[in-house]
Amino acid sequence: MKSLYLVLKYLAILLWSSFVALPFLWALTTSFKTSNGVTGGATYIPWLQYEPSLEGWKVLVRTGGQGINIVAPFISSAIVTLSASLISMVLGTLAAYGLSRFSYRLGFVKNSDITFFFIAQRIMPPIVLAIPFFLMLQFLGLLDTIPGLILVYVALLLPIATWVMVDFFNNVPPQIDEMALIDGCNPIGAFVRVILPNSLPGIMVGGLFCVMFGWNDFFFAFTLTFTKTQLLPVAVVALNSSVTPWWSLSASALVSVAPLVIIAFVVERFLSSGNMAGAIR
Amino acid sequence: MALILEHIDIRVDDIAFLDDVSLTFKRGGLYTVLGRTLAGKTTLLRAIAGLQQPQKGTLTLNGKDYLHLPVWKRRVAMVYQQFINYPHLTVLANVAFPLRRAGVPAEEAKRRAMEVLDMVGLADFETRRPSALSGGQQQRVALARALVKRAEILLLDEPLVNLDYKLREQLREEFQNIFEGQDDAIVVYTTTEPAEAIQLGHELIIMDKGAVIQKGKPLAVFNAPATIRCAKIINDPPINIFDGAIENGAIQLQGSVLLPIPPHLAHLPQGTYCFGLRTSDLSLGGVIGSKVELSEISGSQTILHLSADIGAFILFEDGVSQHAIGSTVQVNLDSDRIYAFSPRGDLIAAPAITEN
Amino acid sequence: MLKLKYKQFFLLPGLIVLVAIIIFPLLFTIRVSFSSWDVVKPGLDWFGGKNWGRLFEDMRFWESLARLSLMATGSVFIQYLVGFGLALLVWRNIILKRFIRVLFLVPMMTTPVIMSVIWRTILHESLGPANDIIRILGFEPLSWLSTGPMAMVSVILVEVWQWTPFMFLLLLAGLMSLPNEPYMAAAIDGAGPFRTFFSVTFPLMAPISIGAILIRLIEASKLMETVYVLTSGGPGTATETSSYYIYIRGLRDYQIGYAASLSLAYLVIMIISLTIIAKILTRKIAQD
Repeated sequence: MKSLYLVLKYLAILLWSSFVALPFLWALTTSFKTSNGVTGGATYIPWLQYEPSLEGWKVLVRTGGQGINIVAPFISSAIVTLSASLISMVLGTLAAYGLSRFSYRLGFVKNSDITFFFIAQRIMPPIVLAIPFFLMLQFLGLLDTIPGLILVYVALLLPIATWVMVDFFNNVPPQIDEMALIDGCNPIGAFVRVILPNSLPGIMVGGLFCVMFGWNDFFFAFTLTFTKTQLLPVAVVALNSSVTPWWSLSASALVSVAPLVIIAFVVERFLSSGNMAGAIR
Repeated sequence: MALILEHIDIRVDDIAFLDDVSLTFKRGGLYTVLGRTLAGKTTLLRAIAGLQQPQKGTLTLNGKDYLHLPVWKRRVAMVYQQFINYPHLTVLANVAFPLRRAGVPAEEAKRRAMEVLDMVGLADFETRRPSALSGGQQQRVALARALVKRAEILLLDEPLVNLDYKLREQLREEFQNIFEGQDDAIVVYTTTEPAEAIQLGHELIIMDKGAVIQKGKPLAVFNAPATIRCAKIINDPPINIFDGAIENGAIQLQGSVLLPIPPHLAHLPQGTYCFGLRTSDLSLGGVIGSKVELSEISGSQTILHLSADIGAFILFEDGVSQHAIGSTVQVNLDSDRIYAFSPRGDLIAAPAITEN
Repeated sequence: MLKLKYKQFFLLPGLIVLVAIIIFPLLFTIRVSFSSWDVVKPGLDWFGGKNWGRLFEDMRFWESLARLSLMATGSVFIQYLVGFGLALLVWRNIILKRFIRVLFLVPMMTTPVIMSVIWRTILHESLGPANDIIRILGFEPLSWLSTGPMAMVSVILVEVWQWTPFMFLLLLAGLMSLPNEPYMAAAIDGAGPFRTFFSVTFPLMAPISIGAILIRLIEASKLMETVYVLTSGGPGTATETSSYYIYIRGLRDYQIGYAASLSLAYLVIMIISLTIIAKILTRKIAQD
């Protein structure tokens, strides 16, 4: 009975793993195809079922004419994501520390309400903000520009940064802060010299989430840019027409998702290698 | 130089953490604060350090207002019961931290830090991280960091409570040596153990439910606790209390037990009293029959929890022996050591002082 | 008190930015919903409640809400089942855990729209591997994207692929934080694996399950990108979600005023439904 269970268990895991791997493997193999590998029906194994070629990949860096310039959108996405993540993490970590350590009172509104306000922004469907953001950016002359996008993305990522860091700070005992105060730091000094150095795991997770949500956003990039600026997801989706061959489509897709997958691996490594030992036993 | 608290009140949601506390701490003094858990000891230290603000009262140092000074401007050092160190810094950097914050140049800070580490016996540990140290060592680092500042006020909040017995004894001795050298500072040390409080301090303060209920020289407080509450706190196990009266020239306890009136109580008028007797002043082999409720062995003594007509009480027996629960033993009360308290709990008369 | 200055320094910058970037646009949207701003007549005029009236009779909007509820709850439910199942399989096994955790993390990190682009090629009825494998196994090929109900299934499939890892990670973390004692007690009582699961594991995991489900429901209620790429709301309006419909009205037809009222109605309905669902679920744990 036990061995039947084991067989079923590993079968289930195998099935799910195959399901997870399917799109990647398919995109990978398709990116090396040319027309006869696609138009005749699905093919899988290079050399056996189709002649592999680097055409799908070469086209990515070719500019003009047949080329799909993936490099420019890649760089734009990187700039917008990293800037917005940085700003959001700074503002969010500060706000989170405040919410975790001090108690605020604005009339009847107190800490838990303010924290909820930050987090509740996630409920907001993007479409509700798309129209005003569009008009707002148009008014500021920032439509279709990188600074405009950074501004909007900060609005998106700030709640996430705050949410992650509030949770993290709530799990750091306040005695360390107090010790820093007693040792002569004012609250800002305590925050910078003592809390931050001990918050690296939280900052990594928060930063990762920000970068993830920023890099992967489609909707706002889609509605707020046209021709001058183009972010990666928009560029790839624009290729999603019957004109673009599947091989360049697959190659572009893989290039776009690769960075985050790699970053995720790196962060996971760092987190599970165990770093911050307790300050208080 | 004196730190003076006057009528300090700290209340949260109707619970008085500090209840009208007025205390004076003098320079060079070593004060121990004794009390049960939640007595207000930690709150007192936090109020002095500035981590908690009183709703009422004044706090002055050398006549200057201390209450409105932020924590980081008060020249205070504190050692917590949980071993608090900065995890991201080495032991040396931990101890040098307050000096660097005060603007002391790096070289000198290192030098002074090494001196203090040597004083607490951690001379070779300077490159280690706190997380790699044992509990006792971590607490020594915390102590070193507190001492290096040469602060005006040194606060220790039950610093030994999370260490094992042997280590506690060892560190207690080291503390005594270290504190002797702190002539310029006010040292306030809290504890729940009467023995520790009496041994360490020049002056003892008893706190209960947020209020100061007695203060004075340790032995004086021990020999003459002001109330039954004080007597219970300053003795471990707590002092035994028997309701009774003085009538017809004898002490009458419940269950018609009569005791002769000892010399130190001879002057007392007739009336109802609460009589107190320490566990060490009861012995086996008398005439009072008592039932054994519980028998515990502690070190080389047996602690017996007994009940009789006179009341429930605790007694120490030398040596280790077995007593079946429910069995009867005969108990003797040493009436020369009896305390007399009023029914309301105030001390009326205490026995003569002996050498211990 | 001095502490006050420092308190403000920490919270205010973030709070001000958030209020400015979220509250003002929201207020602006409310104002716009009372105007008749569109391609022909841009600008804020006063249109009264006419947009709102139109909304009530707009069957397409209400149908989109129904479709959204169906697809969102369906996909979240499947994500929960599969995620929980996988977490249970992997929970006690240390080696598997590390390997699987990394593998399962990956879909979550990818850009959903871009993966949808790939899925579109996979689900292509004549050229894609999905139908190819089905044919090889001897079954009839499915009309993944060309018939209504199947299109919904395809959207749910892609969502399940994308987000089950999230459920998996949350639930695994929850399982790993469960105390040991109830299990020892169950073992002593001779409970088999099923009994143990239903009497011990499931009840203990209730708070975390509810949290995970709520979070995913909140995100799933915004379903739009997958639909945009995979089906364009089709065939017809078979997979048209509320977000997608509002996008059509607002940014394709440029009926900004009407779209504003639609988005606000959508927001309010979402907040109310999610709050109700949250209350019901949390009351359920309180009862057990």
